Amino acid sequence: MAEIRVGEPDVAPDAPSHVKGVRQGNRKGAYAHENGHHEDGTADSRRSTGIRPKERDPILPVMPNLPPC
Amino acid sequence: MTTTEKAPAGGEPGQLVEMSWDPITRIIGNLGIYTKIDFSNRRVAECHSTSSLFRGYSVFMKGKDPRDAGFITSRICGICGDNHTTCSVYAQNMAYGIKNPPLAEWIINLGEAAEYMFDHTIFQDNLVFVDYCEAMVKDTNPSVLRRARDTEAPGAAVHGFRTIADIMEAFNPFEGSVYKEALQVSRTTREMFCLMEGRHVHPSTVYPGGVGTMPTPTVFTDYLSRLMDVIDFVKKAVAMNDDVFDFFYEALPGYEEVGRRRVMLGCWGAFQDPSVVDYKYETMNQWGKAMFVTPGVVVDGRLLTTDLVDINLGIRILLGSSFYDDWVNEEPFVTHDPLGNPVDMRHPWNQTTLPVPQKRDFDDKYSWVMSPRWQPPGTNDHLALDTGGGPFARLYTTALANMVDTPYVKSTGSSVRISLPKGRDLPETTLEWRIPQWSNALERNRARAYFVAYAAAMALHFVEQALGLVHAGDTKVFEDFEVPDEAIGCGFHEAVRGVLSHHLVIRDGKIANYHPYPPTPWNGSPRDSYGTPGPYEDAVQDMPIFEENGPDDFRGVDIMRAVRSFDPCLPCGVHMYVGGGRTIQKLHSPMFGSTHA
Repeated sequence: MAEIRVGEPDVAPDAPSHVKGVRQGNRKGAYAHENGHHEDGTADSRRSTGIRPKERDPILPVMPNLPPC
Repeated sequence: MTTTEKAPAGGEPGQLVEMSWDPITRIIGNLGIYTKIDFSNRRVAECHSTSSLFRGYSVFMKGKDPRDAGFITSRICGICGDNHTTCSVYAQNMAYGIKNPPLAEWIINLGEAAEYMFDHTIFQDNLVFVDYCEAMVKDTNPSVLRRARDTEAPGAAVHGFRTIADIMEAFNPFEGSVYKEALQVSRTTREMFCLMEGRHVHPSTVYPGGVGTMPTPTVFTDYLSRLMDVIDFVKKAVAMNDDVFDFFYEALPGYEEVGRRRVMLGCWGAFQDPSVVDYKYETMNQWGKAMFVTPGVVVDGRLLTTDLVDINLGIRILLGSSFYDDWVNEEPFVTHDPLGNPVDMRHPWNQTTLPVPQKRDFDDKYSWVMSPRWQPPGTNDHLALDTGGGPFARLYTTALANMVDTPYVKSTGSSVRISLPKGRDLPETTLEWRIPQWSNALERNRARAYFVAYAAAMALHFVEQALGLVHAGDTKVFEDFEVPDEAIGCGFHEAVRGVLSHHLVIRDGKIANYHPYPPTPWNGSPRDSYGTPGPYEDAVQDMPIFEENGPDDFRGVDIMRAVRSFDPCLPCGVHMYVGGGRTIQKLHSPMFGSTHA
């Protein structure tokens, strides 16, 4: 820093924004653990619901599987 | 070499009148333009551009978690924050060694296209046109308005206004039909943005490695239906802009000199192509050239480079008139780039911000803005590139580079051809932006209307590509990654008003250095250590004055048109005084119409 007089910081500038022990969504392997997400980029209805998901998959195999959320 | 030659002062020194506009900005009011006007020769003799605000992002980013960079830097701007998030994501992807899944890339492109449409529309129709509206022209150039009433508008069949004066009336703030319709359009385009990036203007669903947007078919069809709603407005806007600006050239011979400077433009490219981009520095030249807005530097109408590596290595941050200490004695962060090329100490990767607040002195230091310059490979020139307000440089480099070839937008080598489909009222239309003779205020403004069309046409292409992936069942939008202990990255993007770069250095898993360079430091920079003025100063200095008012009721509309053509995050309050601090008038320009009967 330059020669400017500044006050005492309330918090260390490099205080971690991540708390140890909390799962990080970006960590390697997180994608593989997500329900309903497939390795090839497709998804099935398990992505949206845990209640009888197979009954909510498309009725024909040629249809894309597009769970609502 | 980068300055416009100054003509010898013709008038007596005593006739110079000082005029200043401070602030001249839209959101945070910190850009000031200080001029000396020679009324006897009707020219601007001298101009200084100054900023009174220190931001300090590069100071307080140090030590933070790099994953937060996109969210923090978004707050740099209240109108184009998402451009910063996107650029930060590009830089972080390079540092983490990852790339976004294709659908995520299309979603970011769609969000950015909506942002360009939104921001250019609200700026052009609700802020720039205040300077060209009937009320303003009546006040500053009554003879021009009289002529406009008798001039048929060539594009009447498209936009429906019979004369040029009818268009100018539609520009009147708060009352004119174009002003009001533009507000509606900017609402719709903002909705399009929110569908893709979650929230305007600080996105909530854009992260390194991808997006959090849920790619259901409805998201894309909702976007498309809104886009088709505004497509006719875009066609009309281009026709209106062409008519009004062509009329100004005709009615005021010599108006091409307003805001004119040497053609020295920079564009850092926008809209990644997911089939090419891998965010590796080593292949940056290839994926930079595949972008749907080609990056490049144009000097005197010649394309110097389209290589992002050249662009990156040529960036120099000069001091000279800025309130900072030099950092040359600090430790460099990056001595060589990943290709082995040496990185200069004045490059953003090595910059350390050392603020030194002091009194403003136009003969010495007078601005918080530094002076970014670009050094062409193998030369010692430091070019004061401008962005032409964004669209002008984007269309110029894309046209010359002749690389963009999509179903709706094609570059031809001397122009850009934009095809828009049939809308509710107007048929399918092909627009062509041709490289103009000058880099001046009117051409910067004209390009803005064409770029809205460009973004709309590109958005159609992106929607088709994205829906193609969704129909195939590919809905992956996120990639996982680890934050490395040591890494560097750079991101190149186009903020709405021009070049945007983020340079990032990670050490111990934390940010060791972070420097965002948005367009306004390039355009609004003060004189550098070589004495070269920044683009605003250069464009306004020695500019002729066409306003019919004398010093007593001078509005300075020509100067405002010149500065505002660069889209300087613009006008909220305008405060004008003549000599010795004597205030003659106070204006608040967007409120202009409120007093207009």
